Amino acid sequence: MADTAHDDVKTLSFEAALEQLEQIVAKLESGKAPLAESIAIYERGEALKAHCEALLKTAEARIEKITLNREGKAVGTEPLDAG
Amino acid sequence: MEHAESQVTTLLVSQPNFADHHTPQGHPERADRIRAVEDALAGPDYAALKRSNAPFGDIMLAELVHDGTYLARLRDARPAEGIGQLDADTFISDGSMGVAATGLGGALAGLEAVLLGEVDNAFCAIRPPGHHAEIALPMGFCLINTIAIAAREAQRKYGAERVAIVDFDVHHGNGTQDIFKDDPSVFYASSHQMPLYPGTGSPAETGVGNIVNVALPAHSGGEAMREAYDDIILPALDNFAPDHIRDPLAQLEWVDGDFGWVTAKLMEVAHRRCGNRIVSLLEGGYDLKGLAGGVRSHVSTLLDL
Repeated sequence: MADTAHDDVKTLSFEAALEQLEQIVAKLESGKAPLAESIAIYERGEALKAHCEALLKTAEARIEKITLNREGKAVGTEPLDAG
Repeated sequence: MEHAESQVTTLLVSQPNFADHHTPQGHPERADRIRAVEDALAGPDYAALKRSNAPFGDIMLAELVHDGTYLARLRDARPAEGIGQLDADTFISDGSMGVAATGLGGALAGLEAVLLGEVDNAFCAIRPPGHHAEIALPMGFCLINTIAIAAREAQRKYGAERVAIVDFDVHHGNGTQDIFKDDPSVFYASSHQMPLYPGTGSPAETGVGNIVNVALPAHSGGEAMREAYDDIILPALDNFAPDHIRDPLAQLEWVDGDFGWVTAKLMEVAHRRCGNRIVSLLEGGYDLKGLAGGVRSHVSTLLDL
């Protein structure tokens, strides 16, 4: 149920997903959401969290080491060898 | 009644008509929950379970804990067809009273088997849940407060003087607390996430000294739960010295093993204080995978596997 109901999450930017996630956490932590709604938004929160984590992982993979010339100017990039 | 560890007998009470209580499409409290529980306990690992089907319980027993107009109000809200609504969360269909009746009948069958010594403990896979249903108000998916009625029956029919209810559902059982808050013969302890629905369950809510609430923050995990039980709930339970213990089930970022841990701890107190007598009722649990894993861990521990 949760897998298909929150498919739209996958199209969100990191910032948009994080903002929605923060709103959900605030609503859950207020303790004022009805039970069914709190369970539904919790499931959406899980989907948003997974999406944010996936985006972060992809971003990490894209981080490249900036190479500098003798004058200290950036001349290009090479893959980060985080070792 | 003393059994060697390998001879522990656990009764699983199933509810034949569980699917006759209809909630709207997409509602978390759905018949698939019971299917998931039944599937989780179907394998050869659970061949040692004694199994029985819940009979219809006497729904009028609800008046042991609910006010005089409660059942009439439920019946009036029930539509001839389709699904009626009691509040933002709580629904009732034509077959719902029959399902509530077998939920109660199942709990009472588990109670009788345990109190007569036919089995050591019992787990009742029933719906709808009951712990949010207050004296005068059905709410939070709950129609009647099944565990509260069963606790009253333990006293009325079987002569139990002191009954303890330990509720490790992620939500506070406001209904069970409401029913017993002025009754020193029933102990109610709850661990739950807070703040979260229904908003009650502050540690400051202590009834007449018979209520123990432990509020756990979101994502606090199994470690915080274990500390809460070791330091607060189990000593209070031990001190209360119940004739028998009832425990309802559901989740708070606990891993499956945490349900087994808390079950084992409750069994230790039950062994020391009340001849092992534990009757366990399913309350919440709306993520089917989490529910199945939690139930497996809980029932495996009851079976002493």
